[in-house]
Amino acid sequence: MLQVLISGLAVGTIYGLVAMAFAVVFYVTKVINFATGQLLMASILIAAGLINGGTPDWLGIAVALASVTVLGVLTYLVAVRPVLRFDRFSFSWLVSTLGVALVIQAVFAIVYGPASVPFPRGWHGIPVRLGFATITVQEIAILATGVLAIAVWELVRRRTLLGKLGMAISTDPEMASAVGANTTAYAIGAFAVGGFLAGLAGILVGPITYGNPYLGDTYGIYGFIALMIGGIQRPTAAMGGGLVLGVLSLAANAYIGSQASDWFPFVLVLLVLLLTPNGVFASGDALRSTLRRRSAFAGAEA
Amino acid sequence: MMETRNDALVVTGLSGGYDRFDVIHDIAFRVGAGEAVALLGPNGAGKTTVLRAIMGLLKHRRGSIRINSAEVAELPVRRISRGLAGLVPEGRRLFAGQSVEDNLRLGGIHLRRDRERTETLLQSVFDLFPAVERHRAREATALSGGEQQMVAIGRMMMSDPALMLLDEPSLGLAPLAIQDLTVALQRLRDRDHSILLVEQRVDMALEVCDRVYVLSEGRIVDEGRAADIGAEGRALIDAYLG
Amino acid sequence: MIAALPERRWIGTLILIALFLAGTWYTATGGFGLQSIVTVTAIFVVLAVSLDLVAGMVGLYSLGHAGLFAIGAYGTTLLARNADLDVFLLLPLVVVAAGLVGAVLGALSLRVSGLYFAITTFIFTIIVYVTLSNSSWTGGLQGLSGPLFPAFPDPIEDVLGRSVVWAVAAVVFIAIGISWSIRSSPFYPVLLAVRDAEPYARAHGVHTSLVKVGMFALSAGMAGMAGWAFSFLVYQSPGQFGWVQSVMILVMVIVGGINTRFGPILGAVLVGVFPFVVKIDPFVQDVVFGLVFVLVIVFFPRGLVGLGHLVMRRMRERRRAASGERPPELAEAEIEAVEVAALDTEPPMRADSDDIALAARGISFSYVPGVPVLRDVDMVVRRGTIHGLIGPNGSGKSTLVNLIAGELRPHRGSIELNGVRVERLGAPARPAHGLRRTFQSAVMVRELSLVENTTVGLYSTVRRIAARSVIWPLLPGARRDGRRMRAAAADALSSVGLESSWHTSAVRDVPHGVEQLTQLAAAIVSEPTVLVLDEPLAGLSGAEMTHVAQILRRLREEGVTVIVIEHQTRFIFDNCDEVTVLAAGELVTSGAAPGVRENARVREVYLG
Repeated sequence: MLQVLISGLAVGTIYGLVAMAFAVVFYVTKVINFATGQLLMASILIAAGLINGGTPDWLGIAVALASVTVLGVLTYLVAVRPVLRFDRFSFSWLVSTLGVALVIQAVFAIVYGPASVPFPRGWHGIPVRLGFATITVQEIAILATGVLAIAVWELVRRRTLLGKLGMAISTDPEMASAVGANTTAYAIGAFAVGGFLAGLAGILVGPITYGNPYLGDTYGIYGFIALMIGGIQRPTAAMGGGLVLGVLSLAANAYIGSQASDWFPFVLVLLVLLLTPNGVFASGDALRSTLRRRSAFAGAEA
Repeated sequence: MMETRNDALVVTGLSGGYDRFDVIHDIAFRVGAGEAVALLGPNGAGKTTVLRAIMGLLKHRRGSIRINSAEVAELPVRRISRGLAGLVPEGRRLFAGQSVEDNLRLGGIHLRRDRERTETLLQSVFDLFPAVERHRAREATALSGGEQQMVAIGRMMMSDPALMLLDEPSLGLAPLAIQDLTVALQRLRDRDHSILLVEQRVDMALEVCDRVYVLSEGRIVDEGRAADIGAEGRALIDAYLG
Repeated sequence: MIAALPERRWIGTLILIALFLAGTWYTATGGFGLQSIVTVTAIFVVLAVSLDLVAGMVGLYSLGHAGLFAIGAYGTTLLARNADLDVFLLLPLVVVAAGLVGAVLGALSLRVSGLYFAITTFIFTIIVYVTLSNSSWTGGLQGLSGPLFPAFPDPIEDVLGRSVVWAVAAVVFIAIGISWSIRSSPFYPVLLAVRDAEPYARAHGVHTSLVKVGMFALSAGMAGMAGWAFSFLVYQSPGQFGWVQSVMILVMVIVGGINTRFGPILGAVLVGVFPFVVKIDPFVQDVVFGLVFVLVIVFFPRGLVGLGHLVMRRMRERRRAASGERPPELAEAEIEAVEVAALDTEPPMRADSDDIALAARGISFSYVPGVPVLRDVDMVVRRGTIHGLIGPNGSGKSTLVNLIAGELRPHRGSIELNGVRVERLGAPARPAHGLRRTFQSAVMVRELSLVENTTVGLYSTVRRIAARSVIWPLLPGARRDGRRMRAAAADALSSVGLESSWHTSAVRDVPHGVEQLTQLAAAIVSEPTVLVLDEPLAGLSGAEMTHVAQILRRLREEGVTVIVIEHQTRFIFDNCDEVTVLAAGELVTSGAAPGVRENARVREVYLG
């Protein structure tokens, strides 16, 4: 049971990082970058390719992370910004970012081949015993990264002035620009952060899995499901969704059947979409803030 | 219309609107330095549209808008809001989920590096609105309508704009709050700020402003000194009710 | 695109059908290579047409059509293998199955908005894919081979060629036939109204929820039908039914031109034929597809057909500039004066003052509990009067209008229309009680003509438009109804001063005042007894306002009761018999116009 919890939290953190990548971009721009999963895949393959080719570990990882950050920004500039200008149907960026996903996937398939590429083992092999359960150092690193990501996000968002401006952009972009915010700069920043988080997730999960071009689909979808479960409005909630997904999926595997984690996430997301479309963690807050906004406009009082 | 170097705002030939059709046609008016000017008119006359055009928030606009002799008609809103003009929008639109002080500091974000100036501006807001200072740590949207209006004005003041734009600040306020608001606006005027006030409430506008323009169906149809209008008050009132 | 189907149209259609049959025969008697390309492309055409029904006409962007397609294909294959049923029987079965799933998805669209709906359908496709990949009884990732389509008896086969090609052709014919029929029926403007301005459609009696569910079911059934035909052609594996395919179908529709007759067909042909014409590595093909997704959305949101229209319009403009004609948009607005009593005569005081057309009593309402927007408001409107409703911003006027129109339900109070209690009825039910309303902002379908937009007002007065729309041109009764609707619409437009040269102009090409008059025409074409006009003067010039005043007076002469909500108080006091004044959610006063105008409290409320 404890093992399920620990391993579930670890894999859930990976999903949560991907979900955060989606959520940070959505938070600032109200756009979902469907190429996020592919950015995770790209980071794994770039790092694996470099490291297997002799580059020192830290350099390979650094280049990979930098590359996907740039790829994230490029996605915004090429597939999102021009679309937001023309605005044919209000979410045509869905199709254009899916197009980018397809291009990235296919390009990496051409360059690296469709077969799997081994990723350096990293800390995966080092187990640590905790009572009845085992946790690897890699998993500890993953959990730590997750905590760090949340902490940094919340600290920057709530304690720095620029972070607060980001909050303002999220709630009222027009008014934010009317106090001087450069919303384009923030959008670029959001896509960069999204790319970085996806790349980070890739580096962390690399040792546990094989790198192949179709990973993007898998992790992208799981990350997206985590996003829907946790709530698209807040990156912290998205991470929560990832943790929930991770633990429940492994629990399903353990208690229902070893193939259960193939279909279980979808049942879960369907239930969430039907019952609490705003996500499990988001509903209370969203309702509260709607009420407050109403009372701000509704009027007269002394 | 004589364009003097002293004018905070000179608008000529301003037309524009949303989508296909123009809401305002060939608007021309001015706000002198340190002057408080009111833009009156019934609902739908285009008053808010004029403010949005000045602020850079109107996608389709043509004409000339000069703030302190600088042509701003082609500038994006984020440049105009950094010291040229400041907006107190209809409905306040304070940033939800943030404290009063946060809202104020966000208003002056383009001056954040100049700590001394920011603190001076903050102090001047607190001088004008002691209630805002009292509530500085509370969440902005939890305040009463009148108090929120003061925060919104303070937020606008924090960017130290050459021109202050206010869109129906009395909307939705109880009579007592309107009184406080009127006093505050008078004090702002007395500090020699250049103010353009859009209002439906004629009385309040006349108490605060030196000159008024009347807008109807997207065009300026009348202008005059506030003192003069007082004498013909009845005529103006009748114009509204037909 | 007037659906008159004159002789020219019939001939054109017959020629197309002849060409279609010839093409089918050529393929069916041709080589296998040609047959593969043509039949698979034809299936794409059906899918694109099916998606266009919901995405183009109703605005429901679905990324789930690959999943519905899979239900058709795998459904046919599995049932043929395990249940040993005749392949022709399988067609209605899988169509109904896909249709039911489609109805569920359509119902979901009522709960979740555009983006979330697209995401939900996206997830649906993934669920189908994952299910198919992981189940051994569907062959897992390897897939299954489909049933064989029964061949023609030998002598027929010698003449007509392979039967399966004719089966695919039949499916394509049905799909295009249904789509084009709907497009030329009076249901089409209704669908576009549901897409662009749902409250407006509801205000004219359209049950928009049913329309959405029904259209999605139809579209899904069509995709299922495509799956049925597809199962005879190739080996099915899950990889053919993934999210990439769903997006590809949407891209086909957009590349060709969304919501056009030929757009989806063109797009499907291009995408289908592309891999065969340009022989490249499948991975590079993916790269190209991905780039196409991006480029199309960014640069060609109107698609090839849209591009074609643009080119034609440019050529027309150049020709006109050369010959010195003035384009119609610049021509003077010819709005004819409406025959009516002169404005300066006193409105006749009605003696039969007990005939109440509309009575709202004790209305209380709040959007958020604890913040009342309307408190115990009464408004009584006598028949045959023009009744004004005014009040400053935030007084609750718009809320009261929405309560009267049925978009909202009052928490307390009653609304009686011609003596019948209606407050529990939804907006689409109110036209049946004689109520019609207009909206203050643009609600017309911009790409359609004034006449087509006006016919939406008659939707609830003609029976079974929706059901008959799928085979409209074939039903003489339907065509007659269509002609009558168009004639009535033309009359209504003329009665508001828009004479016939305006009638075929598209809404996007006409001035704002004309658009508002069209909305008025759509409201009066069904001869309502009570007409509610929500800020009808917004954006109108002085002359246009006078024109509206004349129309209202003429309506009053005809016995229609008119309620006008407005800010322009001068207009109200000049034209209304009685006026109700609201402020801060409460009734200030109500009564004859002159008295209200002099009322001290009214002045106070407006001027502070």
